[in-house]
Amino acid sequence: MGIRLLLYLSAILLGAFISYKGKISDKILDKLNIIQTLSLLFLLLIMGIKIGIDEKVIYSFFSIGFKAIIMSIFTVGFSILFVFIIRKLFIRKENEIES
Amino acid sequence: MKLSLNILISVGLGILLGYFVLPPSISGATDIVIDAGLMILLFFVGIDIGRHQDVFEKIKVIGFKILLIPFAIISGSLIGGIVGGVILDIPVKYASAVGSGMGWYTLSSILLSNHSTEISTLAFLSNVVREIIALITIPLVAKYIGKYEAIAPAGATAMDTSLPVIASSTDSEISIIAFITGVICTISVPIILPLILNL
Repeated sequence: MGIRLLLYLSAILLGAFISYKGKISDKILDKLNIIQTLSLLFLLLIMGIKIGIDEKVIYSFFSIGFKAIIMSIFTVGFSILFVFIIRKLFIRKENEIES
Repeated sequence: MKLSLNILISVGLGILLGYFVLPPSISGATDIVIDAGLMILLFFVGIDIGRHQDVFEKIKVIGFKILLIPFAIISGSLIGGIVGGVILDIPVKYASAVGSGMGWYTLSSILLSNHSTEISTLAFLSNVVREIIALITIPLVAKYIGKYEAIAPAGATAMDTSLPVIASSTDSEISIIAFITGVICTISVPIILPLILNL
């Protein structure tokens, strides 16, 4: 995990450094959103393939898929709710004062 | 909305291709492509951050309160797991353990494998489903609820697979907060999950 984290951080920092120094032309920057979206959709397609070829995922989905969906809906739902409460209580006010 | 639909189509098409068309032997190749693709996308996220140089000033204003976001996500995942467990009649200990995986399906299922095969499988699949739900709902949450809340579905994946989606749906300030949040959530999984199991 440590090496992975370092690699991800390096990729972000490298991108930030290059664009901060203005080494990327406006022409490329204009196309950045399209390239980014296409790369993202391609990556997600491959991630889907990885899930689809994994027999463990497909087999277990047919047996306990309903339970997994319920569990994930509640974990996602409560995570959103708690961040919403935190933002309302602590974060938003600070931003409003600043702006 | 359009991004969510495109994400749903991409992931769905991928699952169908993987299940019906492609042989399992390409599994190693998908890992390499995912790693390489992720690095390229994180590089793009970095480019976007570098273009908005006031972003660190904005984050400085919020200060240490940024840490409340991973805290909220970790708590929400645990409580959400418990509530789901009550509905499905799963013991509180195991239900909260499944929730505490926060999308890191490999680790959560490994840590639970010594306790119960069924719960380990449920942890694996629930966290795979969480990742898919995160990818699809992040753009919708960002648009209709709030940008900070868009980090919540991602949990531990906010530092890797979900980060490009968060970056596309929000702004560079949220991207940085999401990365920090993802790192904290990821670190917390191997700490919190064994703690719950030892209760």
